[in-house]
Amino acid sequence: MKLTGIRLSRRQAIGVAAGGALGAVALHYGLDETGSRPKAAAVSAGGWPSPLGDQRAMAAHLLRRAGFGYTKADLDEAASISYDDLVDKLVTQQPDPLAVPADATNHNLVVRAWYAHMATTHAQFPERMTLFWHGVLTSDYRKAARLPFVFQQNNLYRSAALTDLRSLLSSVTHDPLMMRYLNLDAGTAAAPNENYARELMELFTLGPGNYSESDVREGARALSGLRIGLFDSGGSRIPAPRYDKSNPQSYADQINALVASGARFRGTVVARLHDSGGKTLLGKTGNLGADDVIDILLAQSACAPFVTRRAMTFFATPNPSDADVNDVASQFRNSRYDLRTLMRAIFRSRVFTSPANYRSLMRSPTDYMVASTRALNRPQLAVAAAKAAAGMDQVLYDPPNVAGWPSNAGWVNSTSMLARINFATTAITQTAALPDPKTGVGTQLDGVLGRDTAAAFKAAGNDADRWFALLASPEFQLK
Amino acid sequence: MTVSRRDFLSSGLVGVASGVIVPPILAKGVFAAGVDGIHNDRVLVVVQLAGGNDGLNTVVPYADPAYATARPTVGVRPETVLHIDSNVGLNPALKNLKSLYDGGSVAIVQGVGYDNPTYSHFENLYVWEYADPKRAQTDGWLGQMLGSQLDSQGHPLAGCALGEVSTPPELRASNAIVSVIQSIDAYTVRGGGGRQATAPALYRSTPGIYGTLFDQALSTAEYGMKTLSLGATTYKPAAQYTVAGTAPAANTLGSAMQLTAQMIVTEPSVKICHVVLGGFDTHQAESARQSALLSELDAALSAFMQDIAAHGQADRVVLMTWSEFGRRIAENGSQGTDHGAAAPLFIIGKPVKGGLYGEQPSLTSTIDGGNLKYTVDFRSVYQTLIRDWLQGDPQSVLGASYPELPVIKQA
Repeated sequence: MKLTGIRLSRRQAIGVAAGGALGAVALHYGLDETGSRPKAAAVSAGGWPSPLGDQRAMAAHLLRRAGFGYTKADLDEAASISYDDLVDKLVTQQPDPLAVPADATNHNLVVRAWYAHMATTHAQFPERMTLFWHGVLTSDYRKAARLPFVFQQNNLYRSAALTDLRSLLSSVTHDPLMMRYLNLDAGTAAAPNENYARELMELFTLGPGNYSESDVREGARALSGLRIGLFDSGGSRIPAPRYDKSNPQSYADQINALVASGARFRGTVVARLHDSGGKTLLGKTGNLGADDVIDILLAQSACAPFVTRRAMTFFATPNPSDADVNDVASQFRNSRYDLRTLMRAIFRSRVFTSPANYRSLMRSPTDYMVASTRALNRPQLAVAAAKAAAGMDQVLYDPPNVAGWPSNAGWVNSTSMLARINFATTAITQTAALPDPKTGVGTQLDGVLGRDTAAAFKAAGNDADRWFALLASPEFQLK
Repeated sequence: MTVSRRDFLSSGLVGVASGVIVPPILAKGVFAAGVDGIHNDRVLVVVQLAGGNDGLNTVVPYADPAYATARPTVGVRPETVLHIDSNVGLNPALKNLKSLYDGGSVAIVQGVGYDNPTYSHFENLYVWEYADPKRAQTDGWLGQMLGSQLDSQGHPLAGCALGEVSTPPELRASNAIVSVIQSIDAYTVRGGGGRQATAPALYRSTPGIYGTLFDQALSTAEYGMKTLSLGATTYKPAAQYTVAGTAPAANTLGSAMQLTAQMIVTEPSVKICHVVLGGFDTHQAESARQSALLSELDAALSAFMQDIAAHGQADRVVLMTWSEFGRRIAENGSQGTDHGAAAPLFIIGKPVKGGLYGEQPSLTSTIDGGNLKYTVDFRSVYQTLIRDWLQGDPQSVLGASYPELPVIKQA
């Protein structure tokens, strides 16, 4: 499945590589006055001189991908330990939950709180994973009307992001926003709804070609009868408040009080709506239910490589080879789908650390905006980010379709690039005390600048224009 | 960690051999002025109905008893259908389209699909976008037309995605340049202080695997910003695009169609415009949702046709709709319908010979457990538009020849 990628012919790929090599000649160094000017160990596949190999540059490379960028102080700290220790430190970070916003039923407040959280939390890696899963196991805020489903899903993905794939998928299958988004709350024994069963196989676990239409129909039968219930903090089912059209505020108040008390909505099987007959899914027959479906899918040989490829495309390299994927996937599978094992394997993989892989990923709009915020010492930009997101094609909880967000080259077009550039101006304008931009060149861009950015930086007459050259540059769109 | 020269060389080779990356737009140098290299003055507007529009509730086989049987709650009530003939009629939300049909400028092509269909959104999108049921093509069918046949000079506005914020895959091709313009207001560099000049100057010779793609996006934007600021002074809409009494957010297709009219009226190099209306994946509570979407479509299309006619452009514009699939014949248990197969589409414009084309597929002789068997290959529609409207060569895009439909009036 290719949603946004453009495949290169062999001839085109060689052409690109040759063009890149020519471009590299024009690169300028020496703007970093911190004394940490990196030595280019090699040239990346696309033409940037690659500083990877230098411990500080490796730390920056990892922080850009495993988190959302950094301040100079963050980088100083990260660069003080070895790369492998830094990987371990990041992948073992405990998630920092999103605090309950003033109104947990208002998805705009939740999204703003999330932007602020991404920009400020020290648990950067779990936060980055939350965004990753939001793109893979995506949902639409419109299905949460008057209920705290966006807030719940956001915290669910954060807490489950680094457990294991089985727990994560089981939680997601019972998550009220997902249940509504893919109509899991609608299937009955008499008329199962295929939407979730299909996407669970096609997008979440196996990929096309690894299941049949019959498996979709049998999976839908096994998943029939799930409905959303309310449970208190001890896990006991409690009655949900009734919505009163004449007094919506009272309803919101009751829901918020329940959220504050720890009550949560989640899926539960209603026996009379569930098809309890025999089903056959991918060769396994029995009275299957939701967790059986997940176990059967996880047992397929296609599952670990499929999920690994998705993660590597997001975190490591835009088009990982089968060998790169299979190496990581076997570690993932052998760990019983432990997600920290998966991510540690990716960050330590040869393709991730290869000099050729320098600046091979493009920052998503959310990543770009949050990284800009962090580079500017974390001013309060959540409202501005939420507003600017639409022009860049990434409104959180409003994905273009069930396959989630584009990636890498899929983000590049004339209008979205202008929106990024305009966000740089907004961010700089709203920052009261700009950090030193010359230090920023070394810290944020590793001192590796192309000819155009170096010229614009030198021509800029003040710090705001220097930061504009830095944040609007092609270099800062990459990681 | 350190990297040896050998590590670098081998990983570099892996990178190239596996096609690590991505930006194969062929740089065509300085943009051509005016219409140099533009194939002719004909424009194709493509309206994508994303999510899988329910064809059976769009062009309704109201006289077929199997229709009411299959859809006890989701079905369109027969007395509300806008009759096309004694068998089929339009959804009541399409009242302006019915007027256009009665005026002779709407072709309804029934039963459009292909052999051995899949039921996945993404696989079907691929099939339609790349005109390839084998899903092996790497350039979109409209991108191929743009890059190879319609524009030999690389005009930045020859291919436009309007009201959108990403490049539609059907317009992507290694040698096609596409402008993506969400709105005129947002298509600018803010901030003063010379930033309008600085921003594109940051993207002149970007190294790396995204370099060409980045530089093309910014030079395309730079050209478009200048053109749009000129065009805004010469174009005034001659139709009401917004539906009275609805919020502006409910009129996103209307805004996109108005921008489409502006581009056609003011920029003679425009060849292909793409707009999209999403939300058709109606697994649940379909009737109200689809009816609202079809109303939005109906209002936007009729305003657009009126507007381009008032600007004297109607002779040079043909519009087609498409969706990745129709929906299952029988409704599901959620007052919705699951993914299906063949469906009708519309071809609209003054150059179009209106009427019904193709055959309505049987509701009882079905495929894959209750889905419609196509009667017209979607590539017949593409071939017709490529040869008879755009005056291009369909063979090089479609790889084979398909029966044409006589929907374009011959001069």
